[in-house]
Amino acid sequence: MQQTTLYTSTDSPLHSAHPLTKMMLTLAVLVTTAVLPDFIWVLAVYLFMLIPLAALGRVLGKFLRISLMLIWPFVLSLLIIQGLFTPGTKILIAWGPISVKQEGLMLATSYSSRLLTWLGGITLLMLITRPDRLMLALTDLGLPRQIAYIVLSALQIIPRFQTRAQVILDAQRSRGLETEGHLFHRLRMLLPLTAPLILSSLLELDERAIALEARGFSRKGIRTSFVQLQDSPLQKLLRWILFLLSLLVILMRFVGWIT
Amino acid sequence: MISIKSFTFRYRGATEPALENIDLEIPRGQFCAIIGANGSGKSTLCFALSGIIPHHFAGEYSGIVRIAGRELVKMELGQMAGLVGLVFQNPFNQITGARYTVEEEIAFGLENLGIPQDEMSARIALALQQAGLVQEAHRSPYALSGGQQQRLAIASILAIQPDILILDEPTSQLDPVGTREVFELLARLGVSQRKTIVLVEHKLELAAQFADRVVHLNHGRIIADGKPQEVLGNPRLRLQGVQPTRFTLAAALSQEQAQLPSDRTLPVTLEQAIGFFR
Repeated sequence: MQQTTLYTSTDSPLHSAHPLTKMMLTLAVLVTTAVLPDFIWVLAVYLFMLIPLAALGRVLGKFLRISLMLIWPFVLSLLIIQGLFTPGTKILIAWGPISVKQEGLMLATSYSSRLLTWLGGITLLMLITRPDRLMLALTDLGLPRQIAYIVLSALQIIPRFQTRAQVILDAQRSRGLETEGHLFHRLRMLLPLTAPLILSSLLELDERAIALEARGFSRKGIRTSFVQLQDSPLQKLLRWILFLLSLLVILMRFVGWIT
Repeated sequence: MISIKSFTFRYRGATEPALENIDLEIPRGQFCAIIGANGSGKSTLCFALSGIIPHHFAGEYSGIVRIAGRELVKMELGQMAGLVGLVFQNPFNQITGARYTVEEEIAFGLENLGIPQDEMSARIALALQQAGLVQEAHRSPYALSGGQQQRLAIASILAIQPDILILDEPTSQLDPVGTREVFELLARLGVSQRKTIVLVEHKLELAAQFADRVVHLNHGRIIADGKPQEVLGNPRLRLQGVQPTRFTLAAALSQEQAQLPSDRTLPVTLEQAIGFFR
């Protein structure tokens, strides 16, 4: 079955860190880049914080590939839309009524760099954190188990859904249904696929609910955990520092030290 | 241990009851096999014994189902996991989908029951060994074969260590060796830990060999209940949609051809067949 999460299993100090530490780091990156005024600073977070961290987590190649692959459609559309439609006086190129303004390009660069750093922060978190460990840390903090279960099982349901759709398609094809051809024809062929796919998934869901009940999922009372997350005073301190740093950056922005 | 009195259940929207007027007492430590054609009510009986009916499946419910003296209708579903373990046919749908390794999958039920971590590790190790999955402990449950997933479903329930095990065709995806291993394990648990086992199975030769008792369901009613040979040693089982064992059929055929009197009990196991033909 194919993988649905970005998590890359390898041995690194970042992988063995507590999920909350990694989450706090990501939050600090998101908050800081939202508040920093200049895109150069924002890019500096990406270049001098996220890239070295990705290297430390031994996921640099994947990190660069994913974050850059995700960002370019946004960059392209931002450059076109902001460049053409943001009001400004410094015209760089003009074709009749259409002109590209410097102010627009600056704005597009500012948005793009922020987006790149946000996506980078989230990508890095997902590359180095097992989803189940993250959910375990969050349930320890008070997140309802049912929500954690929904998130985790949804991640595993997607490939199951794809496999099942393929099986149904193969079955229909073997009975003569034409599923190849031009786009419109293929779209029309989605209809006979939808009903069996949804119905069989609902049946599966019902059986899974029974299986969960058989294993005491709805039982009230104390619960234990097989996996014990490793934490340390140093990591707790780091989380507090990151939290206070984020608060400080927000305060500085509101007080006006950062404009 | 298990007591069912005048139990009738009709699923919501169904015209006929799935089970009708069932009376059944299963004492502690007994290995009871349930047989019957498809649609005879076997799975419904499993759901009724594990509290899934009426807590999960609604319908018209009458009669009393008691487990260890407690009436299931009055219990909460969450309380039942520690008392009754349920394994059903499709192994894939019994994987929780929220755990990334086989041992964590087995731990899921133990975590819900609040078992301390040390004990949890010991129980998981035992369940892995019982189900023959020690080598698979750190693999993803989704990476296992159908047979291994079925053993994982069994291991997940064994680790909970309930007094009663309800298994609805738990060997449907296992090869003959794996199937026999599961039967041997269940029989061992019955003897060594006095577990009460209710097993729905189509593999009658194994049921005949390992079960203490066989209950035959047909159209939602019990039509035969007794020792394996009494219930299964009947070539007419086929008329009720159940294929008799090879030993029973061979003995019936030889009886007919040799025009022997048909009052002898027919064999249902290899040992009995050897005795019969000798």
